[in-house]
Parts: sequence; structure tokens; C-alpha cells
Amino acid sequence: MLKVENTLFTMVMIIYFVSMILYFVFVAAKKEKIGKAAALLQTCGLVLHTAALVCRGIGAGRLPMTNQYEFATSFAWGLSLVGLIFVYKFRFPVLGAFAAPVVFLIIGYAAMQSKEVKGLMPALQSNWLGFHVSTAIIAYGAFGVSFVLGLLFLFRSRMTEGSFWAQHVPEKEKLDLIGYRSVCLGLLFLTFTILTGAIWAERAWGSYWSWDPKETWSLVTWLIYAVYLHLRIRRGWRGRAAAIFAVVGFVCVIFTYIGVNTFLPGIHSYA
Amino acid sequence: MLKKIWKFLSSMRFAIILLLLVTLACALGSFIPQGQETEWYFETYSPRLAALIVGTGMDDLYHSWWLLGLTGFLCANLLLCNLLRLPQLLRRYRLAGTPAQRRSAPVTASASGLASPDPVFAGLHMPKPIETTAEGRPLRYAAKNRAGLWGAWVCHLGILLLIVGFTLGQMSHREYTVVGVPGQNLPVEGTDYALGIDDFQVLLREDDTVEQYLAQVTLYDLSDPAHVTGGQAEISVNHPADLGGFRIYQNTVGRAARLTIAKDGQVLQDQICCLGDQISLLRTPVSLTLQSYVPDYDRAEDGSPVAGYAYAVYINDEFYTMDVQPEGGSIGYLAPYEASYSEPQYYTIIQLKRDRFSGIALAGGLLTMLGLFLAFYLQPKQVWALQAEDGTWTVTGSCPKGGALFRDRFEELVKEESPC
Repeated sequence: MLKVENTLFTMVMIIYFVSMILYFVFVAAKKEKIGKAAALLQTCGLVLHTAALVCRGIGAGRLPMTNQYEFATSFAWGLSLVGLIFVYKFRFPVLGAFAAPVVFLIIGYAAMQSKEVKGLMPALQSNWLGFHVSTAIIAYGAFGVSFVLGLLFLFRSRMTEGSFWAQHVPEKEKLDLIGYRSVCLGLLFLTFTILTGAIWAERAWGSYWSWDPKETWSLVTWLIYAVYLHLRIRRGWRGRAAAIFAVVGFVCVIFTYIGVNTFLPGIHSYA
Repeated sequence: MLKKIWKFLSSMRFAIILLLLVTLACALGSFIPQGQETEWYFETYSPRLAALIVGTGMDDLYHSWWLLGLTGFLCANLLLCNLLRLPQLLRRYRLAGTPAQRRSAPVTASASGLASPDPVFAGLHMPKPIETTAEGRPLRYAAKNRAGLWGAWVCHLGILLLIVGFTLGQMSHREYTVVGVPGQNLPVEGTDYALGIDDFQVLLREDDTVEQYLAQVTLYDLSDPAHVTGGQAEISVNHPADLGGFRIYQNTVGRAARLTIAKDGQVLQDQICCLGDQISLLRTPVSLTLQSYVPDYDRAEDGSPVAGYAYAVYINDEFYTMDVQPEGGSIGYLAPYEASYSEPQYYTIIQLKRDRFSGIALAGGLLTMLGLFLAFYLQPKQVWALQAEDGTWTVTGSCPKGGALFRDRFEELVKEESPC
């Protein structure tokens, strides 16, 4: 089963790469059909990605969410899923052109990690693992989308009216609103992640909050997005300031995920 | 002046400043190693930076007076914000769902000249509209998701409870640690209880990795060891047990061994010691410490592994020497005494904890989740339609949080409904 997963994973990487190129061609050639084809190909990639994760789960005999490789591929899956939902729901293929490289980078990071399947250490043998990590995947995916939307917002004013960009990127108000929706989804799931993590930590380590760097940076991320939400409510701050915070928030997400493990090891060092 | 301070304390601007400061403090604390000795900071950083870190409490930042102060201000801000908003919120909630509410509702989208408002009501998934009259003309009014009005309020209340529960828990919780091997009954220092470690096993997989640490424990009354106070329980990592008002956790493990000291063939001292325990040799200034256990220290003639016990000898607490005793051998340097380590085993570290406020923190967390869900996914909406004298309808929608997306959907529905 793990061999099948390996093959599927390679296929998924290739498909995501091709779909990313197609998105670029769509933007460069300004042909809608190519944009639709890119989204369709990414959807196929997502289906195979789902199959790869299922195979990994069956092969490992547990949820595939316990080491750097598994979390990275699941993170890419979450971002791809949330990105596609937003592409289809808001008829917004240009979003794909910005999200696809991020997906490809993350799955590329996964490919560089060890794929070895090891038995779970006692602290990880918990039903909370599934809730904690799957909610983190959705949260991170949603924040990834809000990051792309924040960037688009910041560049929207440079898009001349009537141009391809202006036609395919919603106006600022809508970008702000879609970005807000994306942050809402992410924040709700991040809260769930922190809450389930705290309940699990209490059972495994005897303390529901220990100021471990991963916990602390999850809180930092949560606080950044809380500031984002309050900024949007304040008159005059909606839009640009909120978009900057959406971008900064995702930098925190990436730091929480990769930076903390690299620079600030703690009790989460396996994650 | 007081009014101004009061207003500022409950303002969103103050909330944003506090959130940013707390964010910065939390991030900073993750980069500065916490809880080290003062000397460590002076050895690691420049004297000026070390003095700043120690002087401002950044060496124990998460318990520093100023972070506690910021958190206190945040709590005050949340409390004031919730208290001040409550009457207005109650009024809005009571009004929501009544046609009178539309007068104060901000208009998000509006269209006139429709033959029928029903497709707009249906397309926006509104409940069956109330039929009434306004200014002598037929009015249809529908509202939904008024519970969403409470989202931010519930979320703030949840965060407040979370902070209060966590802070009270940190201040009042009691934590005890018991270190021992199976068969030992050990006092829980600082309590009236003793903990019996009835059994302890390290379950290994085929590849020698640890699958689980499993302990069987009994909680006794210290003054009456025959009296089992809290009962017996099996605990393992991720599966604590509640006994006698304590939550008991299987925390961690380490190596232990039996240390036997004899003289002229007569055993004078025989005890289990854990790694790092410094054991005094009877009434002499000599003491021994088991440093590590090496399962494959050497090979026997038949190729089987021979374990070894690395130990250190101290005289008057000063390090004297370090060596390894093979399994079955004895420790040198101690003549006329004969000493040896044997029976390698695991000791377990068991943690007992009492935190009466964790329930409040949990309730706070759940309320925060609920509040966020209400705020994000139950957007209060109102749609009303007023019939004009010519029989056509003017339909108006109010959904401040839906903004442009609500307006787009509204306009789509209006377009589908051919105007008269």
C-alpha cells in the first residue's frame, strides 16, 4: 500500500506542477479555457492526493498526520482543497494561479522529508490526534488562501480597469470580503486546533498549556488574525491594513509550521 | 477625564493595542530561553542585554508582572466591552425578527419594480415572511440568524473565561511527582497520601521502539497505609486516572538498578536506585551515582551481549572517578566493601495534579468556539418587501456582514425575476 502511495504522491506532484504551469499560461495568454483546464487538472490532482493519503493511512495503520512528511503533504492537500473551493465558489481562477505555487512548494517540502513509517510514540497514540491535526490542516489551508487574497488586494489598485487582471480579479471590496471569509474559516479551525491540542496535551503531558514554542506560535498566529478581524471592523482600516495582516498572519503560520521546528525545538519537535 | 479613561479602556483601539503587545510578548518569549539561572543569561548574552532580560522579567516572561498586567487590561477591556454592549445587544436581539427592526437596519441591497418578492425570499433562503402593513401598504418581512448577533459577545466571554480559568489554575494548581519502581509505596510529598506503584511495564514493539508505558497505582492514606483512599487505577501515556481528587499521569521513565553493598559476605545495604541518585556508602564519606545503563556494553564468549552499569564515585561530594561495572561484576575503589549493581529495571515518574479551574478554561474555550461560529456563520439577515401603489414590489435586504457577496446574490435573484 505504501508503494502505491509513493507512486500516487509522485503523480500528484507532477499534476500539481503541470496545473501550476497551466495557471501561469492562463495568466500570460489570458485564455479562460486554460484557466478552467488548470482548475480541472488541480481537481484531478486533489482526488489522487486524497487517494495517496488514504493509502498512506492504510499502509501505516493510522492517520497520516504524525511526522513532517505526513503533515506537509496533508497541509498541501488542505490548501489545495480550500483553494479549489474558493476558485469554484467565487468563480475566481486567478486565485488558483497564486495558490498553486504555494501548494507546489509545500508538497515539494514534503517530498524532501523522510517517508519512513514508524510506530507512534506513546504521546501520539490518542484519538485527539485526528481532530487536532485535521483541523490544523484546514486552518492552514484557509490562511494560505487568505494570504493569496491579501496579496491580490495589495496589487489590485495597480491593475488597470478593463485589463485581463481587472476582469479576473474581483474588485477590492469583494477581495476583502472573500479574504475575510477565508480568515473566518481558518480562525475557527485554528481555535479548534488549539482547543483540541490543549485537551490532548493535558492527557498526554499533564498540562494543557506549557508555553512550548509550537503552542506559543499558534497563539501568536491566532492573535494576529484576531487583530485582523478587529481592524476590519474599525472604520478606515478595512482593506489595506487588513490585507497586510492577512499576509503577516500566513508568515506566522509558516513560521509555526516550519520555523518553530527548525529554530525553536520543544515538546512538539516531531510535528 | 474619568469618562475618557473609561471610554478608552473599553475601546476597540485599546483592544488592538493590547492584542499587538501580547502577540509581541509571546513571540519574544519563544526566542529567549525561559527559566534559566541568572548567570546563564550573563554568560550567553552581552551584560547589557542580560541585565535587560533579567531586569524586565523576560527570563520568565510568561509569568512576568507586565505580561500579567497586559492580560489584566485585556480582561478589563473584554469585560467592559461586553458589559457596555449588553443592553444594546439585548434590544437589537429582541427587535430582530420584527418588522420594526428594518427602520434601523443598514441597507445592503435594494430593487424596485418586482412582480413578486417571493423568489428573492426563497433564493436567499429566508424563512416564510411575516405579512403585515406599513404606511397603509402590504409589507412582507423575514429575518434569520439573529443568534449571530451574539457571536462576538459570546466569543469575548469565552476568551475572558479562558484567561481567568488559566490564570487561576496557574496560581492555585498543585503538582506532585513520585519517582519509583514496582513494589514501592512512596509518600506524595506535601500531601497526606502515599502512592503505591503496584506494577510498571514498558511495552516494546518488535523493532524495540516503545509502544506504551503502563503503570498500576494505588493511592493510600499516609497515616493508615492499609486504607486505600482513592482506589486503584491503571495509567499510561494519554490515559490518566482520577483518584482521590488527583489526576494521576504516567509521565516519564528512566533506568534503575539494585545496588547491593556487602562486607565480608554480609549484605549491609540493598536498595533500588534510579539514574542520578547519589547513594552514600553507609557511614563513609563515599557515595555512588548510577550514570547510565548500557544493555550491550560488551560481548560474552558466545556472542551474547553483556550489560554494563556506568557509575561515578564521589568522596565528600567531590567527583573522584567514573567507571563501568559489567553485569555480574562488582564496583572497584570501595575496599573493604563489595558493591555491585544488578537487576536492571525501569523506574517510572508519576505526576499527580489538582487544578480546580481547568473546567472554567475548557468552558471558555468551548464558548470561544461557539462565539466564532455564531459570528462567522450565522450572519443576521433581513429582507423586506413593500408593495407600491402600482402593485409592484420594492425588495430590500440588510446583511452588513455579507456585504458585496450578499449584494451580488441579491442582484442575481432580482435579475432572474423579470421586472414588470
